[in-house]
Amino acid sequence: MPLPDYEKKQYKVTRTMPGAWYLSNYKYKFNLSRMRIMLRGFKEGKILGVKCRGCNHVSFPPKLICGRCLVMPDQWVTLPDTGSVATGSGSPRTDQETGEIVIDPVILVRQDGADTVWIHNLPENYSFHDVYIGMPIKVHWAEELKGLWSDIEYYDPIEDMGDKINKEELAKK
Amino acid sequence: MERIGIVGYHQVRPELDLQMSPYECIFTAVRGALDHAGLKRKDITTVISATNDYYDGKTISNCFKVSAGGAYMKDESKVEMDGAHAAQYAMFRILSQNHKLAMVYGFSMPSCMPFECTRILELDPTFDRPISLMNSYSTCGMQMRAYMKKYGVSEEQIAEATATNWKNAAKNPLALQEAQKADMTAAEVLKSDYLASPLRELMYPLLGDGCTALILAPEKQALKITDNPVWITGVGNCQETYYFGERDLTTSLSMEKASEAAYKMAGVKPSDIDVAELFGYTACEDIILAESAGLAEKGKGDSLVAKGCLNPSGGATSGMTPCATGLNRIIEAVKQLKGEAEEHQVSGVKKAIASGQIGFCAQNNIIYVLEGGN
Repeated sequence: MPLPDYEKKQYKVTRTMPGAWYLSNYKYKFNLSRMRIMLRGFKEGKILGVKCRGCNHVSFPPKLICGRCLVMPDQWVTLPDTGSVATGSGSPRTDQETGEIVIDPVILVRQDGADTVWIHNLPENYSFHDVYIGMPIKVHWAEELKGLWSDIEYYDPIEDMGDKINKEELAKK
Repeated sequence: MERIGIVGYHQVRPELDLQMSPYECIFTAVRGALDHAGLKRKDITTVISATNDYYDGKTISNCFKVSAGGAYMKDESKVEMDGAHAAQYAMFRILSQNHKLAMVYGFSMPSCMPFECTRILELDPTFDRPISLMNSYSTCGMQMRAYMKKYGVSEEQIAEATATNWKNAAKNPLALQEAQKADMTAAEVLKSDYLASPLRELMYPLLGDGCTALILAPEKQALKITDNPVWITGVGNCQETYYFGERDLTTSLSMEKASEAAYKMAGVKPSDIDVAELFGYTACEDIILAESAGLAEKGKGDSLVAKGCLNPSGGATSGMTPCATGLNRIIEAVKQLKGEAEEHQVSGVKKAIASGQIGFCAQNNIIYVLEGGN
C-alpha cells in the first residue's frame, strides 16, 4: 500500500502570512546587588558565595532570592578556590582547520562549600573523555584581575587524592 | 458555593521604569502578601501566576519566577491572562479541596517590552493585522465613537469622567506617581493630542511596572487567619467573539453575561452594589462595563463616576500593569470593604464588585462579587 502523501501542498488551500516578533525591542532588568559584590571579590582573588540565614544554603554564584525560605540571603561567605565537576557533557563542533569533529567538554562546577553549581570551562583542548563526575578542579585566575566575569578564565583539573587512595588500596588487595 | 476568603494582599506601587529586577518585584509582592496575612511560605499549597511570555520576552516565563513567587517545590500554574483570571483559577483549586491556601500574583514590566506591538500580535493575522491600523488606540477610539454616537454622549462628558479618574488616582497612594493629577480638568483632557480620534492622550492609561499578589483561603482557614476576611461570594466570566467587527462596541455582552452569573451566584442585585472597581482601558470603557454590569442605565453611566462609586481608586488610569490590573481592582475593592482605602474610601461599603479583562475593547470579562464581614 503506498504511503499517504503527508507533504503539504503550499498555497492550494492555505496561505502563509508573514509575521514578526519584535524581540530587539525587549530589555531585561537584572539586580546587580549580589553580582557586584561577587565581582568585587574576584578583583581581590576571592570567591564569595551568599548564605541563606533560613536554611544555610550557600549559593555561588550568589542568588538574589532563596526559593526555600522566600528571603533575600545576605550572609557573605568566602569559599575556597577549589571545586569539583558536578556533571558534564560534550558539545561537538567541526574544527575549522582540520575539518575533524572535536568534542568540547561542558561542565557544571560545584565550588567547594557551595550548594549550587554554575557552568564553566576546562582548559582548551582538554579531552572530554577524561572528565568525570567528582573530578577535582581549581580556579584558574586571569593574570590581571579586573573584577569581571572573565577573571576566572577556566578551571584547572587537579590531582584527585581520592582516586589515588582508591588505586593504592586496590593494588594492595 | 463555599465562600472563598481574601486573607492577604500586597501591591508593589507601579512605576514607569521600576528600579527592580522582575524577581525582586515579584518577591516584594509575594513576601508582602504573606507578611500581610501573617503566613509563611510553607502554608501556601498552590501558586498561580498571571504573566505573559510576550510581555516577559521569555518562553514559559513562569518557570523563571518559581523562587521569587514562592512556588519552589509546590503546585504551580500560570494563566496567560489578567490577574483576575488567575484568581479564579486559584479558586477552582481551592474548591476542588486539593488545596488550602493559594497565592495569586500578576506581574509585568512594560518598561522592558514593546507593549503596543505585543497587542498587535493579538490580532487576526489574515484580516486585521495586515491593515496595520488596528491597535489598542484605534480600537479604543472606535469603541468611544460608537458609544458616544449611539447614546448621544458628548466628548466633554467622557473628558469629565476621565478627569475624575486622574483626580481619584491622586488620592490613591498606590497609583503611579505620574498618574496622580489632582488638578486635572476636562478642558485639559480635551486639549491633549489625539491618539485615535476621539481618544486623546490623556484618556489612555499610563503603563507601569509592577506586581500584585493576593492570598485566597477556604472559609474555615480564612477565619483562622483573620477576623475580617473579604469573601468572594460570586464570580462570572464570559468571552465574546474574537472578531472585532462582529461585536457591538457600545455595550459589553461578555460583561452582561459575566455579571449576571456572578450576581446569581452571590444572590445579589446590581442595586445592592455599593462600589465598583472595573478594569476599563479608558473612562469610556469603564462606563460601558458599568452599564453592562447593570449599575446604570445605558448611556447614563457617567453619573456613576460623578457619584464616586465607580473606580474611586482611579481604575486603570491610576497606572496599568498588564496582567496585574485586574488584581489591583480586586485589592482596591477589598480595601473599600475593609474601610482601609484612606483618602479614597467610600462610606458604608457592604458589597463591591471588581473586574478584570483581556482582549481588545474588553473582549473577555471576569467579575467578582465581594462582601465583607464574618
